[in-house]
Amino acid sequence: MALIFGWPLLRYAWLSGHADSVLTGLVPVANGGANWLRLLSDQRFWVDALQTARFGVVSVGIELILAMAIALLLDQRWRGRGAVRALTLMPWALPTTMMALGWRWIFNTPYGPIEQLAGSLGAGPLNLLSAPSLTWLVTVLADVWKTTPFIALILLAGLQTIPDDLYGAFRLEGGTSVQALRRITLPLLTPYILLSLLFRLAQAFGVFDLIQVLTGGGPAGSTESLALYAYLNAMRFLDFGYSATVMLGGFVLLMALIGLGALILRLSGLIRPLQT
Amino acid sequence: MTLELRSINKRFGDRDVLRNLDLSVADGECVALLGPSGCGKSTALRLIAGLDDPDQGSISINGENVVAIPAERRRVGMVFQSYALFPHLNVRKNLELGLRIRGSRAAERDERISNILEVLQLQNQAEQLPSQLSGGQRQRVALARALLRDPLVYLLDEPMSNLDAQLREELRPELKRLMIGGSQPVVYVTHDQQEAMALADRIALMRNGRIEQIGTPQELYHRPETVVVAQFIGRPQMNLLKPQNGVMVGIRPEDIRLDQQGVSCRLLSREWHGASQMLLVESERGPLRIVCAGDQTISEQIQVNWERSDEHQFDLDSGRRLSD
Repeated sequence: MALIFGWPLLRYAWLSGHADSVLTGLVPVANGGANWLRLLSDQRFWVDALQTARFGVVSVGIELILAMAIALLLDQRWRGRGAVRALTLMPWALPTTMMALGWRWIFNTPYGPIEQLAGSLGAGPLNLLSAPSLTWLVTVLADVWKTTPFIALILLAGLQTIPDDLYGAFRLEGGTSVQALRRITLPLLTPYILLSLLFRLAQAFGVFDLIQVLTGGGPAGSTESLALYAYLNAMRFLDFGYSATVMLGGFVLLMALIGLGALILRLSGLIRPLQT
Repeated sequence: MTLELRSINKRFGDRDVLRNLDLSVADGECVALLGPSGCGKSTALRLIAGLDDPDQGSISINGENVVAIPAERRRVGMVFQSYALFPHLNVRKNLELGLRIRGSRAAERDERISNILEVLQLQNQAEQLPSQLSGGQRQRVALARALLRDPLVYLLDEPMSNLDAQLREELRPELKRLMIGGSQPVVYVTHDQQEAMALADRIALMRNGRIEQIGTPQELYHRPETVVVAQFIGRPQMNLLKPQNGVMVGIRPEDIRLDQQGVSCRLLSREWHGASQMLLVESERGPLRIVCAGDQTISEQIQVNWERSDEHQFDLDSGRRLSD
């Protein structure tokens, strides 16, 4: 743990206190927190932070709702369920780069099927990959498509820990199946929901490959994430000191967001089932 | 007759779980469905509750056919083998949930719950979660929940099989006091013949989805209609002698006595139980189990005898009782 997580983190922290770029001949020179001051007033960092948060919250939110529906469906007994279960996981098993390329083609203007369809309906061209106000939704769509199965799998595992007798007892108490969803299923599933939220939010905040391949952060930086910005600083601008600062800044923001979420959960009493 | 099952059939896949089951349970009567696992007894209970639907046949409560009525409106009080307490709710909320759903007022709810907690001596557990309770306490919460349902029928599915023997004996009178002998019919599913004998007015012994015999515990004990019933009821098991002329003779271990003029046997083993002891002996008519007084001295060679009138005779092929 200390070696694979702690050491790089410490190294980043150390690096963020130094100037280390082509200007210093790629030799780290301590610059007394200048990187952090620059970060605070760096508009691009804050815009990217908001964009990343928007991407994370919206896609994880949609994924959670869809995954819940899928998990509930897959938890029922019906013919062919096993095959559908396996099929559902396919998008998740696909390498992100490949599926991002697929989506890029699907949304391509003018040759992609979406534009073809829109064109034949007389609605095109939509230019979905070059409309700053819409393109982020395409990245959300691709992420939802890919990672909903992962959440569905976690939730399905959770659903299967709930004994059938509980639903039977609840019905005999006079409850309908809709009421059972709220009174039995959701409370008992809460630990699994929180677990998948934690996993997915952390993952979504570090999103890189999907966006790099699908949009490259464009158009006009409208889909750029923090990880992409850190990457650009290091690999394009060769400013390793500032790249480390961006990375750490994003990490701090994510921790703050998760801490805030945990606080809200604790205050609302939702977290209680975890303790039993 | 307030609970009546008529020609019930139920299949799961290609397995017949219940075949042409008929059963009536009167007001205040307790009928035990007794049988080995897989005999269909729990399925019968779930059909009455409405948790499964029969393929054919009718189920009526107080003369009204309830097959089309969903479980949530059927008004049955059921105790599950697993107790099925809601794990995320404390005892009070477990009991409250149903009342709340059925729309009872807060003041009435509180009063009924504090009453039932007192009756079942659960006052100190009201704020605890099911996971913090002992097995016996969980069982009592499950009973309380069924009682609060104001049911037309009580259904008990192996309610004591998760408890140890001593606790079971302590809870039997409790169960009798609270549920059995009230105004509702009670169906009690168990695989424990002793429990069935102790609690039920009548026992329906089930096998392969059918009722093998139904009657009072005394009837099943004294006049078993088939070999299966004879072997299932009574402990130790009834002895079956070597068949002669297509007739199988059964004799209960407790009907055999030591008698100098009787058949001579060789003692194989001996279990001492205190007030009684069980002997396993080898005789010319096959091995025999014998129950006799605990203080009796036993030698290696003994002679035993029994009254002809205590013999049970069964047809060797069909296993059915021959009239006597």
